[in-house]
Amino acid sequence: MFIKAKKLDSIFWPSLITLLLLLAWEGLVRAFHVRSILLPAPSEIAFTIVSQWDLVSKHLWPSLYLTVIGFLLSVVSGVAVAILITYSDIVRKGFYPVIIVSQVIPKIAIAPLFIVWFGTGATSSLLLAILIAFFPMTINAAMGFASVDHEIHQMARTFMASRWQIFWKIRMPNALPYIFGGMKISITLAIIGVIVSEFVASQEGVGYLIKLAGGLLDTPLMMAAITALSLSGLALYGIIAAAERYAVFWQTSRDDVK
Amino acid sequence: MLEAAHQPDEVPLLQVRSVRKLFDSTEAIRDVSIEVANGEFLSLLGPSGCGKSTLLMMIAGLIQPTEGSITIKGSPVTGPRPDIAVVFQQPVLLPWRTILDNVLFPVEVLRLPRKDYVDRAMELLAMAKIAEFAKHLPHQLSGGMRQRASICRALIRSPSILLMDEPFSALDAITRDEIGVELLRIWQANRKTVIFVTHSIREAAFLSDRVLVMGRRPATIAAEFKIDLSRPRTIPMMEEEAFNHHSRELRKAIEASHVH
Repeated sequence: MFIKAKKLDSIFWPSLITLLLLLAWEGLVRAFHVRSILLPAPSEIAFTIVSQWDLVSKHLWPSLYLTVIGFLLSVVSGVAVAILITYSDIVRKGFYPVIIVSQVIPKIAIAPLFIVWFGTGATSSLLLAILIAFFPMTINAAMGFASVDHEIHQMARTFMASRWQIFWKIRMPNALPYIFGGMKISITLAIIGVIVSEFVASQEGVGYLIKLAGGLLDTPLMMAAITALSLSGLALYGIIAAAERYAVFWQTSRDDVK
Repeated sequence: MLEAAHQPDEVPLLQVRSVRKLFDSTEAIRDVSIEVANGEFLSLLGPSGCGKSTLLMMIAGLIQPTEGSITIKGSPVTGPRPDIAVVFQQPVLLPWRTILDNVLFPVEVLRLPRKDYVDRAMELLAMAKIAEFAKHLPHQLSGGMRQRASICRALIRSPSILLMDEPFSALDAITRDEIGVELLRIWQANRKTVIFVTHSIREAAFLSDRVLVMGRRPATIAAEFKIDLSRPRTIPMMEEEAFNHHSRELRKAIEASHVH
């Protein structure tokens, strides 16, 4: 009962604050008669999402589809590269520092270059999403594989565990919390990658819709697209967080006890 | 002279002969020779960082000696082997496995059939008085209970030698005394050979048949004592004069080893 009450608590207060902010927004827009081209009221944005759902969803699905594919490819390639970093001296000493330093490149600035190389279609969006989402995934997973306690490693060796067994029975579960941490960062970055690529040059996607609505000075439609995108991002994040609670059960249950 | 302590016809289970260990050019261990009989409880007593853990890790096969040899039942130790198990300073249980699955970990890595060992695992847990926690995760147990589980894990494959590296040093004093009694009870039921590394004089005197006092850097064996207290040993025995006599002698030997 106590645990449930605590969980409810952690949902209740942020929800209340969000609701109050939305009400303040609605009230201020109405009180000062702010024109909807400058700032539409939340109710108008909600109305636009519903009334223009065909248009919004037509552009939302391709963006989400590319986001999810880009995210999944980042996770698979990120974990694979992290395994190489863990087990290959050449990769760890040669490539890992390069990967870390290359983090300072503002990868979004590369988007126009990708358009030149791969055209204005889905390929560019997908590649930009992977380029941005791949790094935190790799670095987090590599940290997770490396962070096995020295004594745990020695323990496994005295019981004659093979390298393969140490990887699957110890390094992998040990890295799971780090991998999920990386996934939470990567999913939001994958969305950014897709949207930016659609801003630069595309005929479809939420990025394209936001730019189109901006050009038409249709602010409610713009806000509707942003809202739909944000809520989708929140849902994707929620799915990962739920999977984390299930997969990393030994840590989530520890939080519950506290 | 060592043989005099045991039956003369008994071949020592473990022989450490003139072992020397260098880390780069630093000498950690110099000319250490030890013979341990089957079923003996031997303690290596010395200050922290004197190299006694290094010696234990060499017997475990995790580190190779620079010079000298280590043999068990006549066969040289070249790496970890199934007849040796180690209990570390920390319980080092895997947090995502239940206590039972942690105890069965050594069985699993050797690809032995799990079902053949579940009963034994439950027996060991019962002996360590934590059977009702078999399905719990490690973080749900106290530090003392976790260390008992790690002792069960070390015993699951019935090793002939149990190596213990300051296993109770992370526990509070009261839990320490209690778990010491538990360890002796389990040891007497299984009759393993135990090599127990500690920096606690009380612990060494209370648990052991024999104590080797080790001097500091490079580690050498400074003195050897036989502890002839009767068994089974109980906590009240720590108040008796015989126990205090042994403690005083061990303390004197440690102080003497610091001088040179």
